[in-house]
This record gives sequence, structure tokens and C-alpha cells, in this order.
Amino acid sequence: MSMLKNIQEDFKQYLSQANESDAFVQLRKQAFVEFEKLGFPTTKHEEWKYTNLKGITERDFLATCETHQSAKAVFNSSIYASMQAHKLVFVNGTLSNELSEVKDIEAGVLIGTLAKNRTSHEAIFKNHFGKYAKVEGEAMNALNTALLSDGAMIYVPTDHLVSKPILILNIADATQQNVLAQPRNLIVVEANASATIVEVYLSTGANASFTNCVNEVYVGANAHLEHYKIQQQVGESYQNNYTQLFQEGNTTINHVTLTLEGTMVRNNLHFYMNGEQCNSVLYGLYITDHKQHVDNHTRVDHAKPNCFSDEKYKGVLKDQSTAVFNGKILVHLDAQKTNAYQRNQNILLSDEATVNTKPQLEIFADDVKCTHGATIGQLDEEPLFYLRSRGIPEREAKKILLNAFADDIAEKIKIPELVALLEQQIDAKL
Amino acid sequence: MLEIKNLQSAIEDKKILNGINLTVNPGEVHAIMGPNGAGKSTLSAVLAGRADYEVTGGEVLFNGKDLLEMSPEDRAREGVFLAFQYPVEIPGVSTTNFLKTAINEKRKYQGLEPLEATHFLKFMREKMELMEMDKSLTSRSLNEGFSGGEKKRNEVFQMAMLEPTLAIMDETDSGLDIDALRLVSNGVNKLRDGKRSFVVITHYQRILDYIVPDFVHVLYKGRIVKSGDASLAKELEAKGYDWIKEEVEATTI
Repeated sequence: MSMLKNIQEDFKQYLSQANESDAFVQLRKQAFVEFEKLGFPTTKHEEWKYTNLKGITERDFLATCETHQSAKAVFNSSIYASMQAHKLVFVNGTLSNELSEVKDIEAGVLIGTLAKNRTSHEAIFKNHFGKYAKVEGEAMNALNTALLSDGAMIYVPTDHLVSKPILILNIADATQQNVLAQPRNLIVVEANASATIVEVYLSTGANASFTNCVNEVYVGANAHLEHYKIQQQVGESYQNNYTQLFQEGNTTINHVTLTLEGTMVRNNLHFYMNGEQCNSVLYGLYITDHKQHVDNHTRVDHAKPNCFSDEKYKGVLKDQSTAVFNGKILVHLDAQKTNAYQRNQNILLSDEATVNTKPQLEIFADDVKCTHGATIGQLDEEPLFYLRSRGIPEREAKKILLNAFADDIAEKIKIPELVALLEQQIDAKL
Repeated sequence: MLEIKNLQSAIEDKKILNGINLTVNPGEVHAIMGPNGAGKSTLSAVLAGRADYEVTGGEVLFNGKDLLEMSPEDRAREGVFLAFQYPVEIPGVSTTNFLKTAINEKRKYQGLEPLEATHFLKFMREKMELMEMDKSLTSRSLNEGFSGGEKKRNEVFQMAMLEPTLAIMDETDSGLDIDALRLVSNGVNKLRDGKRSFVVITHYQRILDYIVPDFVHVLYKGRIVKSGDASLAKELEAKGYDWIKEEVEATTI
């Protein structure tokens, strides 16, 4: 068998039980047609040049809602168990009531699952689901739309402020077999509202896991969103993560992606600024070792004038690990006075690590300020010697310098537990 | 305390040090002077343990231990301090955290418990007052955006914090105006306690007006060709290095 055959059977099974008159089922049918037309992306696609799914998709990966004690153990031993937050915990794409905890939320705020709420909150679902993450030409989004398991549905109404972070935690449990999980999250933050979302990816089990996730995020006028993505899947784990943020005027979004573990991680992070005076931060840090492969594709659409975007991705690579950065800033014809920064900086700790970086600007307006750049280098000898000459051992000195390198990313993280996790990970990977 | 015996060194096959002999006893201040290219910076680099300098002969004993066998961090933890000619800017590393780590690493090496945060801060405040350091400097990233004078003062402040038994000062006077030089020298003089030793490496006699040495050595072509007391420095200032060069050339022929 292969993943494709698994998927085709799953979809046949799904259709046999589905109500064909449901618009949602129709949407999924169309998505499946699109997926079958496109097939899995291959390295012949320009956007997938350095990330090869072939070896993975030729194997069996089964969608399952089976969960095991080990998923619970992974959660309980993580920093998230004790974190002050609303928690939605999904194991292989299905909500775990036992591990989830949502309490004391204000009337009108929704922190729940798509499966349960898509009909009870039909208007929200209809207005936003599938509106931002497009299916046409995007095979992995099409696949997720056709066969999504479940996911978070978050709604913060106008003028509401959710002060506690909302944790969307996905655990891939590959205890019994290779698993395929397809979480789908819909997050809607209405005008003048504010929320903090933390997406987390964990895993357990000796078999392989493939997580194909799609996030759609709508941020209404004057709203504020803190958005963190923390990727910590260990063992043999593969992940494709697509996130589309759609922002109205005067919004601020602070986004940080931390890729700390994972055999192969492909992130697609897209911002679309649909109003003026938007302020967007996209920061990312990847720390890789062994044969890890991390691919960050980002795209920022400056569709309206007077917006600011600040993008910075940093990488620390060890052993034979590889990383890809492909950042595109698209300044539309109308988007005068756009101010856009983009940087990608990498430190290679070994001779065998590889980075492919491609910063891209496409500018159709004529009065804009855009800068981009990329660097790949080693840890500087001079600062290292300076620290050692003060009695600090080499390993500790490297740790200090790597933490300093990661410092501007850490500064954008407003949850102390996550900053501590980052420091701990630098220490562990050295 | 420090015994340098017939030390020879080369960089990329080029011989720089050709047999240096020098003994520094506790509490002594030795100045090493010499023209450009004499090997002054190489000597400090070899003593500090820079990897790109190859020692091709001789030995260096520090309190009886083989200094050249030690890693740079072990030399520091044994009590050697190098004040850099060009202190490195390290953005993202706070001076305070850096010093706390350095002091606690040294204490660990000596089998002592780490300093409690309050004790450390009190200790740092005392040393800052002693060195007349501006408070803002320690809250900033290490040397980042510091002026030349601030960087050199920060070196002496670190010296005060780490309390070495031997301080090697590599052209600390270079690039300093007269006020900064006075401040830096005052700092160093406060750390002279009759036990701590100093090796002051310099091209100019100027700094030795403030930090008065017990011995002055002239380094030329990788060897110490002349030694004397503080008056030798004055003589060099007045007459330049040419007469030394001539003397050396005459005796080698």
C-alpha cells in the first residue's frame, strides 16, 4: 500500500457515511477531486524543490482515532500540563476530553472543536471556513480539507479580550502503527478583540507519524493576536503545517514559530493584509540536529497601503541537518508606503549541515521601503575565545552565544515558559 | 609565579618568538615594550591560549603548572587574566550575566559553591564603585556600542571582578585619550596589592607614567634584548627604538 491508497480508502469510507446534501460534504468532495488531480507535491514543484515527500508517501500511514496511555504521559511530562491556559488537546486529530481543560470563559467566546461547533455556530463556520487557506493548486490543503479529522474552533467576539493563552495541542500517537493526523483549526478574532493562541505539536510511539495541519486565522479590525507555533514532535515524525492569517485594518499580529524537533517539518506561513495600518511580526527559530529537515516557506501579502511587516527567521544547524528558508514579500499595486523587513540568519555548527535560503521581494507599488537579506555562517571564534578567556568553558560559552543569537526571537515571546523551553532546547542540542 | 623559559612560537611557519625568558614574581609589575612586529601581541596571545599560535619550543610555568597545556578557560580559572587589546562586542549577552557565569565557573573549579545572587550583586556594586564604573554599562550587552575607553575600562572592571593573580595587559593604552588612560590606570593601580602581578605590554611609555613598573623589558625580533627598571622606559621614550635595534644588530654580527 501507500499513503495515497490509504487516503483513497479513507475517503471512500467517509463518503459512504456522509450526507451528500450537506454543503460541507460537497466542499470536501471538491477538495478531494483537487487533491487527486494534483497528487502529492514533488521536488519538481519550485515550492517543494528541497523538501521531498516521496519516501514518506510511498509508505502506509493510517488515520486513526485510537489513543494510548503514552499520549497522556507525553502531555503530563510537558511544560503544557501545568501552564495557565485554556487547553484543547487532540490526539491523532481527535479531542481528548480527559486532557483538555476549558473553563471560566466569557459568554460569547467559543473555545471548542470544529466537529461539535460547526453546526451550532454555523454563521461563523460558513463565513470563515475554507475562505483563507485555498485548496486550488495546494495539494496538502486540499487533502486536509477532504479528510480533516477535527481541530479547534475559536471565536472571540468583538471587544472581547481573552487573557489566558489558548493552547491547541496536537499529539501524534504512533504507538501501534504509522499514523496520519490532519488537524484543522479555525480561529476568528473579531474587531477590537484580543487573544493569544499557542499551537503545540508533540508526538509519541515507535512508529512514524505524519501530521498535515491547516490553520485559518481571521483577525478583525483593530484586533490583536499573539500567535505561537511550537513544534516538538520527536521520533520519526513528519509535518506539513499550513497557516493563513487574514488581517483587517489596524491589526497587530505577533507570530513566532519555534521548530525544535521533528524529522521533517514543512511550514507554510501566509499573512494577508486586507486593510491599512496593519502591523505584523513573523519571527521564527529552528534548531536542528542529526538528519532533521526544516523548511519554512513564508509569504506576506501587502495588499493595502501603510502596513508594516517585520520578518526574521534564525536557524542553528548541527550534524547533517538541513534547513530551507523561502520568504516572499508581495507588495500589491495599491500598497503604497509599505514598510517591510525580512531577514534569515543561520549558524552552522557542523561542516555537514546545509541551508538553502531564498529571500524574495515582488513589488508592484512604487513608493515602498523593503529590505531583505540572508546570512549563513559559523559561530564566531573571537567572542567564543573572549568568553573562554574569562574562565567560561567552551560548551557554556557556545550556549551563551547561541542564546544571544536567539535573543531577538525570544524577545518576541511573551510566555515565560516558552522562553525557558527555548533556552533548555539550545542547551540540550549542543 | 610565572616562568617563561626559552619560549618559541610561529604562525603559519613564520617564527615570531625566538626564545623568550622571563620570570615574574608575586606583586611585580613587568612592562614589555618593543617596536611594531617585535612579537608583543604574539606573546600575549600565546599566554592566553589562542589556537592559531603554535608553540614550537620552550615552556611556560604558572605556579609550577604547565600553562601551555591548559585550555584558555583553565588558564583563567587558575588565575590568569588577559585584558584584550580589542575587547569583543557581544550583543545579546548582558555584562552582569556574563560576569556571574565567569565567577561561578571559577568558583566551581575551585570547589566552591556558586555565589548567591544578592552576594554577587553586592560584590559587583563594590567593584563598580572601586573602578568608578557607570551603572548603565553593566546593564547593557557586553561591550556593545561602548567607546574605546569604555571597553578598556570594562576590561579592568572584569579584572577587578575575577581577581586574577596574574594580569596580562595587551596594549591597553592603545586608542585611549589622556583622560581615559588615567581612569584605566587608576583602576589598575587599585588592584595592585603586593601579591597580584602584572605584565603590561605596550608600544608607548605613556601608560607607564601611571602604572609604574618594577621592570622594563625590550622585546625585539622575538627576544628580550634589554631589561632594566622604570628608567629604561623613559630612555626609550626619549630616544626611540633605533638605538636598541643598532645595539642588537652590532652584537649579533
